Amino acid sequence: MRVEYINPFVESAFNVMKEVLQSEVKRGELYLKSTSMPVMGVAAIVGLAGGVEGRVLFDMDRPTALKIASAMNGEELTTMDDLVKATITELANMITAQAVTKLHELGFRFDLTPPAIFTGDNMEVSNQDVEALIVPMDTVHGKVEINVAIREGRNGGLHED
Amino acid sequence: MKTKEDFPSINERKPDGLSPEGTPYRILVVDDSMFVAKQITQILTSEGYDVVGQAADGLLGLERYKELYPNVDLVTMDITMPNMDGLTALQKIIDFDKNAKVIMISALGKQDLVKQALLAGAKNYIVKPLDRKKVLERIAHVLSK
Repeated sequence: MRVEYINPFVESAFNVMKEVLQSEVKRGELYLKSTSMPVMGVAAIVGLAGGVEGRVLFDMDRPTALKIASAMNGEELTTMDDLVKATITELANMITAQAVTKLHELGFRFDLTPPAIFTGDNMEVSNQDVEALIVPMDTVHGKVEINVAIREGRNGGLHED
Repeated sequence: MKTKEDFPSINERKPDGLSPEGTPYRILVVDDSMFVAKQITQILTSEGYDVVGQAADGLLGLERYKELYPNVDLVTMDITMPNMDGLTALQKIIDFDKNAKVIMISALGKQDLVKQALLAGAKNYIVKPLDRKKVLERIAHVLSK
């Protein structure tokens, strides 16, 4: 996978989380995975299609999701209710939007799906053909993994227009 | 019991949410994200604004505006929403009330849509993540004109 696809997501996740959580965020070591991998319990997914295609997954465990949602709402939330899900979805939305802006500036043209959120135990995600790069982010509320699996679209990554 | 009133006020400042007549400005919040709607509502009510309505998509927002009219001073309008997007809802609100004050709420990366919205009559825009100070400044500025 080309590093140009990854950096915007890393930077944007770092900036957005730092801003909305009002606390330090540390970037862990990147790693690659090519087989199916477990998902921690709460996963927001955004799909990409066009000049580049694939998906970005924001993955965290349930206590982390609750703590992040509590921090973003300024109140303590203890159950995975609609508000918590809407909050995590919005976090994914903000990170993706900022990353995509950078990718568009670099000349990549593609569309996004609205984020969807999955919750459950023992989930795993598989990608045929596309290897996933995982960017762990350590926040004061726990670990969030940004799992990026993107490749060049059928018509090539760069479009002239 | 000690209440806030027992302490001398250091900063004698009128809350942003009150009009020169002293009545709260009335706001309609249109956003499909429960989180964002709640965030905007909290920011505004803390400054004395009256959030008179919330709507979860553009179509509901348009209907709500017509119901509330003329008892509504400003609309915050998300751009990407199901059923009817914010740009269409904005245009329909302006068709209905050419003096409507609408502020667009946008994720980063929607500059083209924001530009179209401003051309279509939106008074200003705010980019998410929402910052309390920015939200209050933009809204107060639009209402002061």
